[in-house]
Amino acid sequence: MTGFFIWLEETSISVWVRESPSMLAFPGILVLHTVGMAFLVGTSMAISLRTLGVAAGLPPRTLLKFTPVMWLGFAVNAFSGTALLVAYPTKALTNPVFYVKLFLIAIALAGLRYLIRNIPGDPGLQAVARPSRTRAVAGLSIVCWIGAITAGRFLAYTYTRLLSTGYF
Amino acid sequence: MDDLARALIAWFGDLPMSDFMIASRRAWPIAESFHFVGLCLLVGIVGLFDLRLMGFVKSISPAALHRLIPFAILGFLINVASGITFLSATPDQYLGGNAAFELKMAFMAAAGLNVGIFYTTQFRTVRTLGPGDDAPLAARIIGGASLVLWISIMTCGRLITFYRP
Repeated sequence: MTGFFIWLEETSISVWVRESPSMLAFPGILVLHTVGMAFLVGTSMAISLRTLGVAAGLPPRTLLKFTPVMWLGFAVNAFSGTALLVAYPTKALTNPVFYVKLFLIAIALAGLRYLIRNIPGDPGLQAVARPSRTRAVAGLSIVCWIGAITAGRFLAYTYTRLLSTGYF
Repeated sequence: MDDLARALIAWFGDLPMSDFMIASRRAWPIAESFHFVGLCLLVGIVGLFDLRLMGFVKSISPAALHRLIPFAILGFLINVASGITFLSATPDQYLGGNAAFELKMAFMAAAGLNVGIFYTTQFRTVRTLGPGDDAPLAARIIGGASLVLWISIMTCGRLITFYRP
């Protein structure tokens, strides 16, 4: 694995993201990751909160029309997250917290997909099918987003190896 | 550094949680996690409302979408509280001449003014709008300004660490 890390860390894209003095490189990618997160997690939490009974009178199905905003946020974060991973593969992939973060994102997204499928298509209908299970999924999705954000923050403090190149 | 900045640095540095924030290894990342969760609630929900004002997803009435706003306010309060803990730990990093922080505060003041103008001049009309109705031009502009300002605030906030004095 170390051989792969060294190869990746020496690619020009990895070096640019990590070492360029430009604010568009590492700092700019962190900004993208933050803004994408706000729209992905914010919209997802709004859908979950509505499922939990908050904002009665807001037809749940119409709220789903905002999902393009959410998927745009997801796309921005998949891209920016990949760029950050390419910049520091050793730092992330040797830290168990990174896998915890990915696992929590997967659960949060699976919960979100369940909610989107189970919110009734008729805009006049307020109730969802199997309300207790749907609410449990909504709560789980919120908890997993909070966990994923926390794990993401802790990545900056819990890594044991920064790079495989240049630091021996 | 002017006297105001020096006084603010002393005031934030003397807050009761200051020593704890510095001594604890976990307090800082936990406060950051709160700040990020609060940001999602605030910008996610306000962002959807801004988009509706601007004319996107007109099938939702603004009044219905506005029922989520208390959670955006919750997010804002989480971020004020967590933000103050950052300032209490390392006030000079923020107030000792950090361009990103200063710009962030300026954008926040503008966002506050923008939301004040919205509630004093537009909300009475906007809350009566039904599904499919267009918001008045002034409300559309306010919504667009809000979206741009909050994205700018997040941008400056994330860059604070790269502009430490």
